[in-house]
Amino acid sequence: MASTLPVLLNTSDKKSRYFDRWWLLLIGVILLIIGLIVFKPDPFKRILFFVSDGIGVTIYTTLVSFVIVLIFGLITGLGRLSKISIIRAVTTIYVEVVRGIPLLVQLMFWYFAFPSIIQGLGEMISIETLAKYRANPIFMAILGLSFCYSAYMSEVYRAGIQSISRGQMEAARSLGMTYFQAMRFVILPQALRVILPPVGNEFITLLKDSSLVSVVAVADITRRGREFMAANFIPVDTWVMVALLYLVLTLFSARIVTWIERKTKLER
Amino acid sequence: MEAIIQIENVHKHFGNVQALRGVSLNIEKGEVVVIIGPSGSGKSTLLRCINRLEEFDSGKIVVDGIPLDSAENINAVRTEVGMVFQQFNLFPHLNVLENLTLAQTVVRKRNKAEAYENAIMLLEKVGIPEKAQNYPLQLSGGQQQRVAIARALAMNPKIMLFDEPTSALDPEMIQEVLDVMLALAKEGMTMVVVSHEMGFSRAAANRAILMDEGQIIEEGPPELLFSHPKHDRTKLFLSKILS
Ligand SMILES: Nc1ncnc2c1ncn2[C@@H]1O[C@H](COP(=O)(O)OP(=O)(O)OP(=O)(O)O)[C@@H](O)[C@H]1O
Ligand SMILES: [Mg+2]
Repeated sequence: MASTLPVLLNTSDKKSRYFDRWWLLLIGVILLIIGLIVFKPDPFKRILFFVSDGIGVTIYTTLVSFVIVLIFGLITGLGRLSKISIIRAVTTIYVEVVRGIPLLVQLMFWYFAFPSIIQGLGEMISIETLAKYRANPIFMAILGLSFCYSAYMSEVYRAGIQSISRGQMEAARSLGMTYFQAMRFVILPQALRVILPPVGNEFITLLKDSSLVSVVAVADITRRGREFMAANFIPVDTWVMVALLYLVLTLFSARIVTWIERKTKLER
Repeated sequence: MEAIIQIENVHKHFGNVQALRGVSLNIEKGEVVVIIGPSGSGKSTLLRCINRLEEFDSGKIVVDGIPLDSAENINAVRTEVGMVFQQFNLFPHLNVLENLTLAQTVVRKRNKAEAYENAIMLLEKVGIPEKAQNYPLQLSGGQQQRVAIARALAMNPKIMLFDEPTSALDPEMIQEVLDVMLALAKEGMTMVVVSHEMGFSRAAANRAILMDEGQIIEEGPPELLFSHPKHDRTKLFLSKILS
């Protein structure tokens, strides 16, 4: 245990002077985009203008889904660790089923199949609003992404909580804390530090997978790219631009995750 | 007077291991009881049953007049019973002061200032007020264990349970922890201590108990039990740890 002390001090010592060099890669990609626009505005500027409203949609869809995933994933993760076998069974089935079906198929289900199930149900019990139910693309896309990624995230939470030694929960309980108090003040703060890298990873994967919502009528970057290509027949330039835009978003996210990791370590 | 801990014919098994086979034990208020016995004899399990970190299969345990049956009762008992673990189990993400104030504010609902004052007072008592702002991993094992004792005391428990509090420590740090425990015993704290520190037992304990295979084999004043054991199993065990 004594040997961890110098290591701790060392890292916090270097921290203030540290510069994350991967920011340069991000800046490089941004400069490349600017260069393309400045030196070859036709078609690159046109492409960027055309898909730019898709950028907001991609970010919005990803962020809203991710917030839901953080909460629902935690609930599911706790459920899988529950002492009550019914809760454990239900959450386990949920996770296993979701993990076994391709995300694209799940998105199709929520957008195409789910509304018609609701409609059928509405007709059966003759409730007009249900029978006339129409799917809102963004809503269904967010539902589909959240439903799927919450299952993945629950595994991350579960691993994080299990990595904290049992003695921590016992010490907290022996001081009279309830299960939820112990989770909130003792287990989760420690687990969150452990799971920050995989959580960041999930976020970036979710961001990339959000391109799948383009097939269920959400006008994100990818769908706008397809629309532009369909109208203008310049596939190479279009998809290069789309790829670069995603790259900016993912590289930026990765830097933010690293930054948060460093900041939370500093508190030690 | 009624015993503060009443244990009646408690059984407990893990899978097909019988950890406790009908343990009965009464502990009076202010008594210091030391439990010894070979590895796997059920010492930890018995201790953990007293504050229900472990559920038992049958029998009855009443602590300070509160039977361990409902969830509310278990939490009530846990606030009256402090526990010190072999591995300290301090909260590594909190500094020493926060380790001592967390449960005070969350469970006892004390305000920050009151909890803080109490924490400082206890750190002085265990002899490390200067470490208040340090994190657990920056302390030596002996210091960590003293913080753990202070953390348990911060809840003003009526009973303290110690599960081999010195066995994870380097030899030179054992005494500083035992001194704190000895002082606590002198103040009249009710203590149940699993420990093979004979010096401590002789100095502090009213009673020593030998457990083997989930049963209490023999009990008596430490001096008597250690020097004139009646049962063969006690003799065998003592000869092993004394050699
Ligand atoms: N959580 C558990 N799961 C399964 N078996 C357990 C568990 N805890 C204890 N046991 C078993 O119960 C028996 C009693 O264990 P216990 O920890 O109470 O012994 P002990 O006297 O404290 O031993 P030691 O001196 O090694 O700490 C042992 O056989 C042990 O393997
Ligand atoms: Mg033990």
